[in-house]
Amino acid sequence: MRTAYPIPQNLSPETVNNTASLLRIVALILISGAAIASRLFAVINFESIIHEFDPWFNFRATKVLASEGFYEFWNWFDPTAWYPLGRVVGGTIYPGLMATSGVIYNVLHALHLPVDIRNICVLLAPGFSAFTAWSTYMFTKELKDESAGLLAAAFIGIVPGYISRSVAGSYDNEAIAIFLLMFTFFCWIKALKSGSVLFSTVAGVFYFYMVAAWGGYVFITNMIPLHALVLLLMGRFSSRLYVAYSSWYAIGTLASMQVPFVGFQPVKTSEHMAALGVFGLLQIVAFAQLVRAHVSSKQFQSLLYYAVVATGLLGAIAFALLTYKGWIAPWTGRFYSLWDTGYAKKYIPIIASVSEHQPTAWPAFFMDLQFLIFLFPAGVALCFRQLRDEHVFVIIYAVMASYFAGVMVRLMLTLTPVVCVSSAVALSALLDTYIDPQEPLEDQEESKERTKAPDASNGATTHQDSTPVSPAMPKKGKKAAATAASSSSATKTQTTSSTVTFILDALSSSSTKKSSSSKPRGIFGFDARLAVILNTIGMLLFFVYHCTWVTSTAYSSPSVVLASSNSDGSQHIIDDFREAYYWLRQNTEKDAVVMSWWDYGYQIAGFADRATLVDNNTWNNTHIATVGKAMSSSEEVAYPILRKHDVDYVLVIFGGLLGYSGDDINKFLWMVRIAQGVWPDEIQEANYFTPNGEYRVDNQASNTMKNSLMYKMSFYRYPDLFGGGQATDRVRQQSIPSPGPTLDILDEAYTTENWIVRIYQVKKDDFLGRDHKTANAFAQGKRRRKAKPPVRRKALLA
Amino acid sequence: MFLPTLFWLAAVAIAGVHARSSAGDSVLVVVEPEHQAKYSIFFQNIKDRGYELTFRAPQTEEPRLVEFDAPKFSHVVILAPEIKSIAKDIGPQGLVDVLSRGVNLLVALPQKQSPLSAFAAEFSLILPPPNTHLISYFPERNESATIIPVAPSKDHPILTNGITPIWFSGAPHALSTNPYLVPILHAPAQSFAGEPDSPGDVLADAAEKGGEGLWAGSQLGIVTGFQASNNARVTFVGGREVFSDEFAQKEINPGTKSGNTQFVNDIVAWTFQESLVFRVDKVEHRGLNTPISSDKYTVNDNVIFSAYISKYDPQTSTWASYSGIDDLQLEFTMLDPHIRTALLPESETPGKYSVTFRVPDRHGVFKFVINHRRNGMTYLQSSTTVAVVPPRHDEYPRFLSAAWPYYVGAMSTSIGFVLFSALWMARDVREEKKGKTE
Repeated sequence: MRTAYPIPQNLSPETVNNTASLLRIVALILISGAAIASRLFAVINFESIIHEFDPWFNFRATKVLASEGFYEFWNWFDPTAWYPLGRVVGGTIYPGLMATSGVIYNVLHALHLPVDIRNICVLLAPGFSAFTAWSTYMFTKELKDESAGLLAAAFIGIVPGYISRSVAGSYDNEAIAIFLLMFTFFCWIKALKSGSVLFSTVAGVFYFYMVAAWGGYVFITNMIPLHALVLLLMGRFSSRLYVAYSSWYAIGTLASMQVPFVGFQPVKTSEHMAALGVFGLLQIVAFAQLVRAHVSSKQFQSLLYYAVVATGLLGAIAFALLTYKGWIAPWTGRFYSLWDTGYAKKYIPIIASVSEHQPTAWPAFFMDLQFLIFLFPAGVALCFRQLRDEHVFVIIYAVMASYFAGVMVRLMLTLTPVVCVSSAVALSALLDTYIDPQEPLEDQEESKERTKAPDASNGATTHQDSTPVSPAMPKKGKKAAATAASSSSATKTQTTSSTVTFILDALSSSSTKKSSSSKPRGIFGFDARLAVILNTIGMLLFFVYHCTWVTSTAYSSPSVVLASSNSDGSQHIIDDFREAYYWLRQNTEKDAVVMSWWDYGYQIAGFADRATLVDNNTWNNTHIATVGKAMSSSEEVAYPILRKHDVDYVLVIFGGLLGYSGDDINKFLWMVRIAQGVWPDEIQEANYFTPNGEYRVDNQASNTMKNSLMYKMSFYRYPDLFGGGQATDRVRQQSIPSPGPTLDILDEAYTTENWIVRIYQVKKDDFLGRDHKTANAFAQGKRRRKAKPPVRRKALLA
Repeated sequence: MFLPTLFWLAAVAIAGVHARSSAGDSVLVVVEPEHQAKYSIFFQNIKDRGYELTFRAPQTEEPRLVEFDAPKFSHVVILAPEIKSIAKDIGPQGLVDVLSRGVNLLVALPQKQSPLSAFAAEFSLILPPPNTHLISYFPERNESATIIPVAPSKDHPILTNGITPIWFSGAPHALSTNPYLVPILHAPAQSFAGEPDSPGDVLADAAEKGGEGLWAGSQLGIVTGFQASNNARVTFVGGREVFSDEFAQKEINPGTKSGNTQFVNDIVAWTFQESLVFRVDKVEHRGLNTPISSDKYTVNDNVIFSAYISKYDPQTSTWASYSGIDDLQLEFTMLDPHIRTALLPESETPGKYSVTFRVPDRHGVFKFVINHRRNGMTYLQSSTTVAVVPPRHDEYPRFLSAAWPYYVGAMSTSIGFVLFSALWMARDVREEKKGKTE
C-alpha cells in the first residue's frame, strides 16, 4: 500500500481507538474553554454587569426567584411594571432561564459556595455555550463522524453569530435556548435513527425545557413535524419514525402545556397546528399500513385513495371552521411579518420598531459567520450525497433557517448552529480527503478496500452506522445505502432517491463513470495535500482571528455603559445611564412613577427600582401608544395623560451633545406611528415632517414637532450650553434655534454628565387652579391680560 | 361682649395655649403706621384670640416674611392695599409663594391701581377699573351712597348664624368659575359699581348698551374667600373700612350696633384655619376575613375600608373626632374609578367612616381615593395604593365542570392502559415467540 507520507504501521486498533477518544475528550474540553473564555471579553473590558435591556428583567426576576422561592416567583405580580395595570409575571414569562439560575444558585449555596446571584446570571451564558458546543458535537457526530463533530463544536464555540447573544452578562433566554435547541435536535435524530422511545422521551423532555426557556421553541415545534412530513412524503415512513414522533409529540406537548405562559396554546393556535396535524397524519398512515397488511393490494389502493381525499377535505374544513369560530387563534402578527417583511411596518409598528426585527443586512452574514457562510452550501450539498433521514433534517433546517435569518436579524441565531454543522461536515470531508495518506490506486477493487481502512492520521474511526463519504465510492454501494435507509419505502420512492443519487453523482467530480475508464483519480503526492491543508488551516486561523476581533469589539459592549477612546487611544467610559438610574434610585420617592419610552423600562426597574409605565415586555399596545401620545403631543394635551397615570418623572435619552445616535429623537417617529395606530385623529405622522417631507429638528422643523413634548424635553436649555454660539445637534448635524423650547408642565430634575439621560419632574396641579402656562408667566412677573367679568345676561337691545 | 372675651383669655392663660388656629399664631400685619390706629378694635380682637401681631409698613423690608427660605409667620393681614410700591416679599409673587407654603392671607383689595390688583387676578377675581366704588341708594339713609349696609346670608357655613348686617364701603369684584373660590358676602341686589363723583354716568352708559357692561347686582362679590388646593386660605375684602373702628361702632339700625366686629371675627376664624378645619387622621383597609392590613388583595376579595376624620376645635385647640359628614365618598381607582361608593359614618366609633365592598374582577394597581371638596371646608384628600392580584396558583377551584372532557380523557386513557397491559401480559406465549423472531 502506497502512502503519501509515512504512517506508523505497528499500532494495534485498540491503541488507535483509545488515543483517538482521549484526544476527542481533550479537544472538547479545550473547545469548551475557548467558548467560555472568548465570552469573557465583556467582563474584562467592562465589569461583571448585566447587559442591554431584556436581561435586566431576567436578572430582576431571578433575584425574586432566588430570594423568595419558586412558588412566590410563580405567583409574582409586579405592581411596578406597566403602571397602573401591573404585570402578572409568572404567567407572562418563560421561566426556564430563571429556574436554571435559581437551581444553580441553590445548589452552590447548598455546597456552601456563597456565589452572588449576579455572577451566576452573568456567567450563565458562557457556561451554557460549552454545553452547546458539546451538543453540537453529538449532533454532527450523528451526521458524519467525530472529526466533523469536533469541528462543528469548535465553530459553534466561537462563531460570532452565537456569541452575539451569549457573551457574559447577556443574560437572555437565548443563552440557554441554543443548547436546548441543539440537544433536542440531537435526541430527535437519535430517536429517529434507533426508533428508541428513550431518546424520543428525552427529546420531549428537552423540548419542554426549551418551551419553558424561549419563545423560539416554535421553531422546534415546526421543524420536527416538517421533517417527519418530508420523510413521509419521501416514502420513508417507518415504525421508527412513528415511535419517535408520537412519543416526542405526546410527551413534549403535554409537558409544554404545563408552562403557564404557554397553557393551551399547543392545541389552540395556528403555529402549533402543524405538529398536531403531522401527529394525526402519522396515526392515519400507521393505520393504513396495518390495513394494508390485511387486505389485498387493489382494494387497498382504492381505499387509500378515498380515505386520503376524505381525510384531507375533512381536516381542512375542520381547521377553517375552528379558526373561523375562534377556537384556533389565527396567525399572530409576528408570524405574518416572517413572510411579508413590510407587514409589520404597516399594521403593527410596535414589532417593526424593534431593531432586531429588521431584515438582515448582507454584511451581517459575513460578520457573524465569516468563512462558514461559504462552506455552508457545500455542507448542505454533501448532505444530499447520502440523504439519510438526519441529512434530510439538516437540509430542511438549513433552508428554513436561511430564510428566517434573511427576514429578521435576531433569527440569525437559529441559522448559526446549522451553518456550523454543515460547514463542519464540508470541511471535515475536505480534510478527510486530503489528510488521507493513501495514494490513489490503479485497481478499482483496492479503492473499495480503502474505504474500510482506519483513518489513523485523522484520529477517527469510521462510524459503524454512517457510510463514509469518499469520492471514489462506487455507485452500487451508495444505492444500497440509500435503499437500506429507507427499508420499508415504496418502490416508487426508491427510484426517486436513486435518481437523486444519480444526479448527485453526475455533479460530483468523482463520477464512477470516469473511474471505470481505468485512469486513477485522487490526490497524488504530499505537496498537493500540503497546499490544500495549509490553505484550510490558514482559513481557520483567520476565522479564529475574526471571531475574536468581532467578539471583543462588537458584541461585548454592555450597552448600559458606553465606551469611547480618547485621542491617545485610552478607553473613556461614558456612564450616563447608570448615573441617571442611580439618581432616580436615591433621590426620588420609593413609589415614584417614571415614564419613558419602553426601551428603558426594564433598566429603570432593574437599576432604579421605580415603577414604569411601559417596558420591554410589549404586551399592551394601547398603553405604549398612550406613552407615545404623551411624548408626541403638546404640553396641554400631554399633561392630563401624565396626571392620569400618576407620572412623577419623565425620562428621555438625548444623544445630541455626544453624538449618541440611539436616542429618543431618532426613535420618535416610532412613537408617533404607534400612537397614530390608536389615535389616528389626533396624531399624524405627516405633521412631524417639514413641508418637504424631511425629518428635521432645526428651525425648519414643523410646529407640531417643535411643540411635542419629546422635542421640548430633548432640547430644553440645550442652546444655553453653547453660550450664545450656534447650538448643534451632533446626531442629526442640524443647528437648534435659539432660544430653545420652554417647558411649563415639567421641571428639569436631572441631566447627566454627557446629557444622554435627561429627567424631568412633572409639576403637580397648580394650587390656585390656574393652568401652568399662566402660573409660570405670573411667577416670572409677566403682566396678565385683564379679564372681563363673565357675561351672565344678554343685552336687552339687540 | 367683654365678658366672654375675658373668660376666653383666662381659659387660654390657664391652658397655656395661645393659638386658636390650627396653623400657628404669628400674624404679620401690613399697614401704614399712620392708619394703624383706625383698626384698633380689629387688632385687639385678634390679639385677644391668642395671636401675636407684628406690624410692618408696606415699604419697609423688616421684619421679613420669609427668612432662610421658610415663612416666619403663619398668617398675613394686608390692610395697605393702595400702595404704589410694595416691598418685594409681600408683593404678588411673594405672597403667592408663601401661600404655597401654607401661609393664610387676609387681604383688603385696592380701589386704585396697585400691585395687589395683579395678585387678585391670580385668584380668578376680576377687579373693576380703578376708582370704582360700590354704590347703592337703598335703603334710604343719611350716609353717602358708597357706605352701604349689607346683610350676610343667613346660613353661610363660615359666618355666625343670625349675624346683624354690616357696613361696607369699597369696590366689588366679579367672580369667575374657579371652584376654589368661596363667596362669603355678595353685594346687595340694588347696588352697582361706579365712580362716586359721577354715579349717573355708568348707568347712562349701560342704559345705552342695553344694560351690558354694568357691574351690578348680587352676583358681585364684596368679601370672597379662596381655599387653595394645599388648604391655605385667602380672604379678599372689597374695602378695608370693613375692619375699621368707625364701622364697628356705627349703628346699623337705631339702637343696634353693626355686625362688623362679629363678621370680621368670623372671616378671621375661617381664614386663620380656626373654623371648618378637618383632617383625615388615618385610613385603614383589610380583607373582610383577615384581621391585618395588607397591601395586596386578590380579585373579588371583600375589603373593608375605614377612614378616621377629625375636626379642629378652636375652643380647646384640639382635634376631635367628627362624624357629621354625610356625603363622603370612596373611589377605588385604576385610571378610572372602578367603584365609587358612599363612605358612611359608623355609629359605634365617632369619626370613623367605613364601607365594605367587593374588589373588581380586574388585577392591577388600585388606589383607595377620598377626595372630598366642599365649599369652605378643608379639602379631605387621601390616596392609598394597593395591588390587586390574580388568584395564586393554588387558589383556583380544584374541580371544574367545564373540564369534564379532560377528566374523562385522562380516566379512559388510564383504564385503557391498564386493560392493554393486562391483555398484553395475558397473551399466549406462542405468540410472543413469534413476535421475537420477527
